[in-house]
Amino acid sequence: MAEPIATVSRPQRWDVPFDERMDAAAVDRILGIAPFSRIDAAEFPRSTPLRDILLNDTSLRSFRKGEVIVREGDYGNSAFFIISGAVKVTLGKDAIPAVLLGRRETRQKGWFETVAQLWRNPEYPEVRDTARYAAARAPKARGETTATFGRQASAAAQNAVFLSDVPAVLKGGTATLGAGLFFGEIAALGRSPRTATIFADEPSELLEIRWQGLRELRLRAPEIKRFIDANYRKYSLENHLRETEYFKDLPPEELRLVADQTRFETYGAFDWHTDYKKHRDTDPVERLRGEPVIAEEGQYANGLILIRAGFARLSQKYNHGERTVSYLARGQMFGFAELAHNWRAKESVPFRNTLRALGYVDVLVIPSHVVERHILPRIPPADLPTVLPATTEADSPLTQTPGRLPTDFVEFLVDNRFINGRAAMLIDLDRCTRCDDCVRACAAGHEHNPRFVRHGQQLGSHLVATACMHCLDPVCMIGCPTGAISRDAAGGQVVINDTTCIGCATCANSCPYHNIQMVELRNAHGDLLLDRENRPVTKAAKCDLCLEQPAGPACVRACPHDALARLNIRDTDTLAAWLQR
Amino acid sequence: MAATLTRSARRRLWLRAGLLAAACVLAWRWHHDLAIALRPTSVTTGLALLGLCVALGLFNARKKLPFLPLLRAAIWTQVHVYAGWFAVFLFLLHTGFRAPTGAFETLLYTVFALVALSGVFGLWLSRTLPSRLTMHGENVIYERIPALRAKLQREAEALVLRSVEETRSSTIADFYTARLKGYFDRPRDSLHHLLRSGSPLKSVLSEVRLLERYTNERERAILTELTACLRAKENLDFQRAGQGLLKYWLFVHIPITASLLLLGALHGLLVLYYIGGPR
Repeated sequence: MAEPIATVSRPQRWDVPFDERMDAAAVDRILGIAPFSRIDAAEFPRSTPLRDILLNDTSLRSFRKGEVIVREGDYGNSAFFIISGAVKVTLGKDAIPAVLLGRRETRQKGWFETVAQLWRNPEYPEVRDTARYAAARAPKARGETTATFGRQASAAAQNAVFLSDVPAVLKGGTATLGAGLFFGEIAALGRSPRTATIFADEPSELLEIRWQGLRELRLRAPEIKRFIDANYRKYSLENHLRETEYFKDLPPEELRLVADQTRFETYGAFDWHTDYKKHRDTDPVERLRGEPVIAEEGQYANGLILIRAGFARLSQKYNHGERTVSYLARGQMFGFAELAHNWRAKESVPFRNTLRALGYVDVLVIPSHVVERHILPRIPPADLPTVLPATTEADSPLTQTPGRLPTDFVEFLVDNRFINGRAAMLIDLDRCTRCDDCVRACAAGHEHNPRFVRHGQQLGSHLVATACMHCLDPVCMIGCPTGAISRDAAGGQVVINDTTCIGCATCANSCPYHNIQMVELRNAHGDLLLDRENRPVTKAAKCDLCLEQPAGPACVRACPHDALARLNIRDTDTLAAWLQR
Repeated sequence: MAATLTRSARRRLWLRAGLLAAACVLAWRWHHDLAIALRPTSVTTGLALLGLCVALGLFNARKKLPFLPLLRAAIWTQVHVYAGWFAVFLFLLHTGFRAPTGAFETLLYTVFALVALSGVFGLWLSRTLPSRLTMHGENVIYERIPALRAKLQREAEALVLRSVEETRSSTIADFYTARLKGYFDRPRDSLHHLLRSGSPLKSVLSEVRLLERYTNERERAILTELTACLRAKENLDFQRAGQGLLKYWLFVHIPITASLLLLGALHGLLVLYYIGGPR
């Protein structure tokens, strides 16, 4: 007998609202406040009406005086609008000591401490000093500066961090933002870390808008778009352009002219990691079709495209298929060679490649006439890029060019989103004798429990192990309620503060590569640590590139056959050299 | 193997081989000068050899201290390999290229030869087996092999039960009981795998093909799935044999190295004690 077909309703965008406590009355209230009161609801399509966006993509949140709303360095996926009260924005980098924001304080071990690990390391895996956790929770005497952990009614704000004595902890000044202003929208839309810590200066009510809703509002409500774009132009765009090679020498007034004519465009889904998990096993051709096209091969080269955030696939037609030529990330550009050629030769060569969004991509488009007028004349002719000749036999996916990544390897890196890796663990299986010295070395430096698995996706004789890649776009950092997972201030490695991690597994669930493990803790006698409900206490654990060890990553140093390397996948020259050594 | 090396790897190999040859020439020259000066060459070369053996043994100690900044293990391996070859040359200089005489000398000679041969064997394994393991099939972690084998066995048994339920025929079940149960029960054919013989798999697959004449279409579909399980099991056995050999040759090399160091030290003490002639 044939099995009955299971029917389920098709998942919809708002199946899971941002805040289930939002109701019609709350939406009415928001619509009574400017600038939301000025938004024309008729501009919104029937599939995504304004009321539904406010109902499903926003949350009304209350903050107490001193409560941290966003932390500098966090990756957030929402922006805030101040309904009442006021917030303070810290000015200057590291205005509040990182440790007070729940960050890990990295201190490299000295020689004696390093050697002492031989006898000091506990006998059992994942042993923790429970006194350390108790000390972190203990109430401090008045005047002592600390981050204390309290509970709030809002589920989204559980384990909020409070600054109990703000003037004492602040290193720099602050600016105050009052009711009617937005903040956090650039980090939310641009997938970039928060640039400042913001905390409530008095009891405040804020409207938190998740990025999906913010994107719709920006698209349909000119007031919101004006505000967000003006803020971006004012605070970020010129800096972003100046970081780009061909723009860095432009005089400020010309740079401003270029910035004024730059368009912002967004492609793909912000939470690409969830989609990627669902679709990674689908047919590659189907997957390629599902990637939004930003610019198409053969299309008139009408502008220079700069990647502001996210990743893009550069592909080229090859017979009946499309081969991936390369991948682009933040700071890289598309179409410059074509524009330069057309300007110099007075020709009209179209785009030679197709640019597709891999997950979420945020781009800046500078119209060709702006590039021709302000940028190209300032570049010495010898420095102008040339248009590559049409595909030659040497570029065929079936051949390998020395010094360049083989096409199948590029496809492999892009399909598996390893392009995100800044320190991916690659293993050459033709050299690896499976001795596990790397695993043992890792365990020796990390509570007797290795922080990676010598297994993973493989192409030919090369394996990308299941080890934290310290990603360019660290989606694991989105949503950490205590800020325990963060980038190390010095080297940019993604690290977890064991003391402030509450074991919620948000980071482990977000990591699309399964590179974060939840580990059960033990005391010095090897007993599992249990909470009051008799459940094992867990914490997130992952590779930290042996930040505290003076010798650096133990896995690399321990490999007797030079089979293992930690590589930045964007550094294709080093990667190609390693593959072809 | 050399054909698969890149140009830069070949250059590195020649450079190291050149350095080794130069070291051997210098050692020979040193030995020659000592002999001409009527110095006790055996004592000098013996002490140098013992020191070198101790230094070679430090590689294992280095592995126990992965967190110390003591150069990368890959550099230690290269030094260990070339210093090992040099130790063989020094040993031959020390013994005067002659066979041992006496029980203790023979024992020492044999132990040194075993250490050197096991080292060369390990080097050969580490240069040839990894690529064979990679090419053969799915890369698996050695410690997980028993669990993966058990999983495969469960899958195979489920297929057999399904064949009985769906086809009311005992052909596959009988064959499984008679032939395959033992195949899935435990690791098999390790020696065949190490000797690159694919005959055990070929043999069992040919038996599966012979079975097809007694099966209907549904059973043949199940046999196809069972064949996939057999191939996966064969890969597990291959990985187990290869990875096991890569791991366990050290269990020969390291203990006899320890014996060599002890015997060498004892030999040195005896020589120093009797160096002035009988007392």
